[in-house]
Amino acid sequence: MANTPQAAETSEQETDRAQEIPTGMTTSSGLTGEELVIGYPSADDPVIERETITAKPGAVTALIGPNGSGKSTLLKGLANQLAPEAGSVLIDGKDIHSLGGKELAKRLGLLSQESTAPDSLTVEDLVMHGRYPHRGFFESVTDADHRAVERAIDLSGCSHLREREVGSLSGGQKQLAWIAMTLAQETDVLLLDEPTTFLDLHHQLEVMEIVETLRDESEITIVVVLHDIEQAARHADYMVALRDGEIQARGPPEEVVTEKLLAQVFGIEAEVKPTGRGPQITPIRAIHEGSDER
Amino acid sequence: MSGGESGVGETYSSGSTVEGRRFSWLLDPKLITVALVSLAVVFLGGLVQVSFGAYSMTITEAWFAVFNPDVLFNTQAWNGFLFGGELPDMSQESLIAWNIRLPRVFVAILVGMNLGFSGAIFQAVTRNELASPFILGVSSGAGLMILLTLVVFGSLTAFLPLIASVGGGVAFLVVYLIAWKNGTSPVRLVLAGVIVGTVLGSLQTGIFFFADDIGVVQSAIAWTTGSLTGTDWQQVRIALPWTVVAVGLAVVGSRQCNVLLLGEQTAKSLGMSIERVRFALSGVAVLAAAASIAVAGIVSFVGLIVPHIVRNMVGSDYKKLIVGCVFVGPALMVAADVGARLALNPVQIPVGIVTGLIGGIYFLYLMKKKENLGEI
Repeated sequence: MANTPQAAETSEQETDRAQEIPTGMTTSSGLTGEELVIGYPSADDPVIERETITAKPGAVTALIGPNGSGKSTLLKGLANQLAPEAGSVLIDGKDIHSLGGKELAKRLGLLSQESTAPDSLTVEDLVMHGRYPHRGFFESVTDADHRAVERAIDLSGCSHLREREVGSLSGGQKQLAWIAMTLAQETDVLLLDEPTTFLDLHHQLEVMEIVETLRDESEITIVVVLHDIEQAARHADYMVALRDGEIQARGPPEEVVTEKLLAQVFGIEAEVKPTGRGPQITPIRAIHEGSDER
Repeated sequence: MSGGESGVGETYSSGSTVEGRRFSWLLDPKLITVALVSLAVVFLGGLVQVSFGAYSMTITEAWFAVFNPDVLFNTQAWNGFLFGGELPDMSQESLIAWNIRLPRVFVAILVGMNLGFSGAIFQAVTRNELASPFILGVSSGAGLMILLTLVVFGSLTAFLPLIASVGGGVAFLVVYLIAWKNGTSPVRLVLAGVIVGTVLGSLQTGIFFFADDIGVVQSAIAWTTGSLTGTDWQQVRIALPWTVVAVGLAVVGSRQCNVLLLGEQTAKSLGMSIERVRFALSGVAVLAAAASIAVAGIVSFVGLIVPHIVRNMVGSDYKKLIVGCVFVGPALMVAADVGARLALNPVQIPVGIVTGLIGGIYFLYLMKKKENLGEI
């Protein structure tokens, strides 16, 4: 163990705090993107133009929108994967640019859409990589690292997979393993880019259950890009709807998911019925460009 | 708190496969087997190299010459070998074994070692299984400088090893400069390597036209295909310090390689400064490649197939992979050099020709056996 005793103690206290204090604004971190202009170096026009977005501390915020609406781009901007051309991203009121790479990675975790790992890597070793920002260059694995890995594997429900090689897992199992890796980072803010796309229903529900558990038990601030509007409306506390890089609506699901918004943002005529498990959306037909008057 | 902590530590060390101890991963049975088999090959190859040649000895004579305690435990002898001091008196057999034949084996060990883990690092940096130590322009830069020195600046031949390594290093920096555009990417690096390789390769061929002496051409070919002919303790002294440094850095950097394999996005979101890590790792790999070029020229294929062989046996964990390459590289190189030196006795061919043949056959076998080749 290369940690000095003091350092070990502080990191331990931090973990304990995150685990034990159940509620209160003090433990959750808010994430705010102010007047963000985000684009890709290869394209001239930015995808996101001057948008401000706030993720409420300790809540799940879902980003929805049609393909190419800029929801993943916005998420990458919030995660500092894409450097914003203008505007700033604040975590706990601090500009993320002022934080070093590892410092940021201790506060903000990102689950990317396409993740690759060597096939022969075991799930447990993959999850251990989540401890990267917490370890120094020469530092070996500490007890705190083991605890975090253990907790992450538990939370994501992949303890039965821990010895398996990543190459032998199904798509859904892989996603659970990657979520566990992100959780091992022990961040206060978690960004998930379409974590349920391409998964079977069982694993979709499993992933969303993990998201809810994280919010309820660990007070983690979560921003999640979802393809499925119903799923977003059911599991998120707040929703942000995007189209063509502009935020069209934001608020609690019942306010955002309306027939008017579905027409405006997704270009579909649909029926929205409130149920006990969030609104039920029945798509009726696509509104074609020519007849679109809204 | 402390009591609770030790309790937790106990459950983890007994309940999980990842041990808290730093070097427990070295105890992987597959890795140990790989190391032991490699050591056996190196040992046998070395014994063959010592026994056969113009002055023939039986295996037992060679054995006694090598394990002659007057040499083995003689500080003056080691001082002579490693620092160039005067050698003590010894029997003719021991002199031939220790001063002529063994140094060549040691150089082969060092070259194989360097090329092996250098290739492994480049494969992580470019995330491509088909990368070799010479993919980022190193070989073409070194080759051009070798030809320039031999054909144009004949008076500088004494500094050939140094000039070749510097040429390789400079070419690598040029490749990096070309590839850089808001940062680099594996594909841009490989493409830039191809561009630089093509241009410098043309220049090399051009220079061959100006060589008027067949001896110069042969010497140039020996350097550009890689040869261990005529190596002695001088070459060991050149390569050893750099090898030690590079191996150390490679082992330390293996965890960074592992994280790089998770993809750029993931590595970045884990807080790695990718460009810095990628450049530093490439630097270590170039250092190792340059050390091997300095003593043996451009030996192809070793850096490409050694990481492959090791990955097939111990998996893609770079901590094990690097250590495995440090053993398998020497085994391949020593075995290939036995062929290069003795197959067409008394003519010695450049060892690079043998490694090229072995490499080609190995890849043919791999192509037949595996579906997808390329991505790690």
